[in-house]
Amino acid sequence: MSMYAADPRLSRFDPLERIIFYDDFDEGIHGWSELIGNYEHSLDSMLPEYADMRPPMLSNQSMWDTGSAGSMEGTYSLKLASRAREGALATSIKRLTFRRRGQIQLECYFTFKPEASALRLSLDDVRAFGVLFDLQDGMNPEYRWMPHLRYLNATGSEMVNRWQMKGATRSFAKIGDSGETVSHFHLGPENWEFIDAPAQTLAYNEIATKMNWHYLRVNVDLAERRFLGFQCNDLIYEGEPLKYISIPAMPNLNCMLNTAFWVETNRDKRAFLYLDSALLSGEF
Amino acid sequence: MSIRRSYTAIVERNVLWQGGFASEPYEAAWASEAIFFVRALDAKPITNSDGSLETGKAQVQISADGIHWADEGTEFHLPTARNEVIFAKVSHFGGYLRIAGEVRSPAELRVLLSLALKE
Repeated sequence: MSMYAADPRLSRFDPLERIIFYDDFDEGIHGWSELIGNYEHSLDSMLPEYADMRPPMLSNQSMWDTGSAGSMEGTYSLKLASRAREGALATSIKRLTFRRRGQIQLECYFTFKPEASALRLSLDDVRAFGVLFDLQDGMNPEYRWMPHLRYLNATGSEMVNRWQMKGATRSFAKIGDSGETVSHFHLGPENWEFIDAPAQTLAYNEIATKMNWHYLRVNVDLAERRFLGFQCNDLIYEGEPLKYISIPAMPNLNCMLNTAFWVETNRDKRAFLYLDSALLSGEF
Repeated sequence: MSIRRSYTAIVERNVLWQGGFASEPYEAAWASEAIFFVRALDAKPITNSDGSLETGKAQVQISADGIHWADEGTEFHLPTARNEVIFAKVSHFGGYLRIAGEVRSPAELRVLLSLALKE
């Protein structure tokens, strides 16, 4: 039995040999912050897609009809909330560096839902949510690379319920006039590819104020630059390594180990992604 | 010794307010005190007949569900010059917070709205 099994908060995770972070959002926001684009001199110089990625918050999931649901294990979860504008994103990031290029594994318990502003099922109101790593090699770096995993819930009125990966980003844009700053937007609708895994209908429940928590695990190998696979509830993907965005290494990013979550709305209605807790473990 | 947790959210950034507006809802049930800071990134006020400058007014609103809102009672004038900062302090607010108000036409205000929260 794993030593973690003795701790009721950790026994629901399967970490690698050491824990890099364990964020229980009952304790606070744990360094998750709003993603923002790069700028020079003025906020107006930012790529417009990055202008409004929304601040994360701590939610007790208070519903108009039933009051507070709390979180899976306590009262508060981390909440990402998009604006009520079709295609709007909310994105939160935690920025670390690594000390050894070994395997890493992210696990979390999450749920997603549209704002319960309409008394109807609203099943296709959330377009997508996902998680990404933004990584760069350490000494003498060759690459910055970005594994993205997205659950496409719906597009328009079509339910999709498939997991996706992304193998290419947009071209870089120069920001400002100093020559020091560039930016690229990697969460646009282009270049997503379906992963060779079956459709997975995540329990949405039967009205917009009922939420069920789900398990997600994502595995990446920093040494070999491989996006190894993922698990969501009872769906386990262990096939060919997944595609990821690869860019020549950039200044000032060595050993970068960033993790970001996002949610995208499919309607002029806010979309929410909640994390009860997140755990990053690794070989180091 | 434990210290009080705190968090500052940038609820609106580089957003132009003209006419009626409401900031995005923010959940803060964990906090017992809050300050909204409104910093004008740019301001185009109107000049009143007595020569004073004005952009508009806002009030703090609270909500049990983030959907239905009520005035909390704290009301304040909005900034009238670039980089002027106005704040509004509230406590005992339950769960959701926002500010709502009106920028008087033809005045305009481009804002950075921060919400500083503390246990």
